[in-house]
Amino acid sequence: MIDRAFDLLLIGGMLGLAVQVVASRALFRSVVLFIALGLLMAVVWARLAAPDLALAEAAIGAGLTGALLLAAYRALQPAGEAGDAEPAALPRRWALVAAVLSGALVAAIGWAVLGLEPPAASAGREALARLGESGVKSPITAVLLSFRAVDTLAEVVVLFAAFLGARVVAEPLGRAGPGPRPDPAGGEPVLMPLLLRVTVPMGVLVAGYLLWSGGHQPGGAFQAGAVLAALGVLLRLTGRLQPVAETSPAERLALVGGIVLFSAIGLAGAGMASAVLAYPEGWAYTLILLIETGLTLAIALPLTLLFSGSAGLRWRGR
Amino acid sequence: MYAVETLDLAIALFLLLNLLAGLGRVHHGPGAADRMLAAMLFGTTTVAVLLLLAEATALPALRDVALLVVLLAAVLVVAFTRTPRREEER
Repeated sequence: MIDRAFDLLLIGGMLGLAVQVVASRALFRSVVLFIALGLLMAVVWARLAAPDLALAEAAIGAGLTGALLLAAYRALQPAGEAGDAEPAALPRRWALVAAVLSGALVAAIGWAVLGLEPPAASAGREALARLGESGVKSPITAVLLSFRAVDTLAEVVVLFAAFLGARVVAEPLGRAGPGPRPDPAGGEPVLMPLLLRVTVPMGVLVAGYLLWSGGHQPGGAFQAGAVLAALGVLLRLTGRLQPVAETSPAERLALVGGIVLFSAIGLAGAGMASAVLAYPEGWAYTLILLIETGLTLAIALPLTLLFSGSAGLRWRGR
Repeated sequence: MYAVETLDLAIALFLLLNLLAGLGRVHHGPGAADRMLAAMLFGTTTVAVLLLLAEATALPALRDVALLVVLLAAVLVVAFTRTPRREEER
């Protein structure tokens, strides 16, 4: 009974928050509510017994997107104005038309989904039944890197293409990202170096742990990459990493390394194993861990650079 | 369901109520810092709820989620306090 009450409260809170995020006319309030929505969403995935999704939601939804929205909010604010500026509202009748149309769309899709017959044999059950053939113990990693490896490869390519696209669009604007912080030490609170000294090594440790745990429990390259990207954001905002206009050879290697490594191992599978993107007998776990390590960097670096709004980053300690 | 798990869920429910009450602070503000502090309170409460759920539903991986929330709360605070305004550098 108490779990029912918990779930009902969670659903009510989610719906209320979602309405507030969209309906609130004060921008900063919407940003904070969106961060809260991401946290509640992680609890929802936890309740649905999907820790993988809870991890991804906590890292991307609440962490990275929250930092991105906060930076965007700062960029939108005119200088010297600290108030919560209200944006110009859409005329009421247009808002009503949009609401009715989206409501009808959601109702139509919901109606169609409710009418579907549940399939007798789903791909998920088959993946669980044949988990032993994948070489890893975590069903999610088995699907991502063994059974449906081609999807994962395409996803990383999409991320890389998104990074290139953002660079092309941002180049003429010249002022993407949160702007450089010229002097790391200038006017910095005394607690900041201490915070970094604790958080950054811990974050690297957590990323490594998540990467390694992907083989046998929830975790993996995406979560580890998101944690590394969040650390990159932290170092970028405190001036330890400075935005620069050129991408260094090491950064280029990290950007494409994961894709090249994944493709090379996948193509080698045509000769050494049964098919393209299949792994040779007995080598699956080692190769999957190797690919995931490359993918972690290929996910973390584009995300950090997209936040930074620059082509590259240079270390500049104190 | 065992008694301990019911107690875990009951405490989680109480914390969730706390969290939703904190929404009032986000709503009224008045300052940006008040709203951000409320978000940080959400983060801490979410960690507690996740740890309780990890016990109640026997999903140890949820502790990793709690760990991640703790780590990323630090990033959010820095993003709030250290993001420079564009106009300042022009």
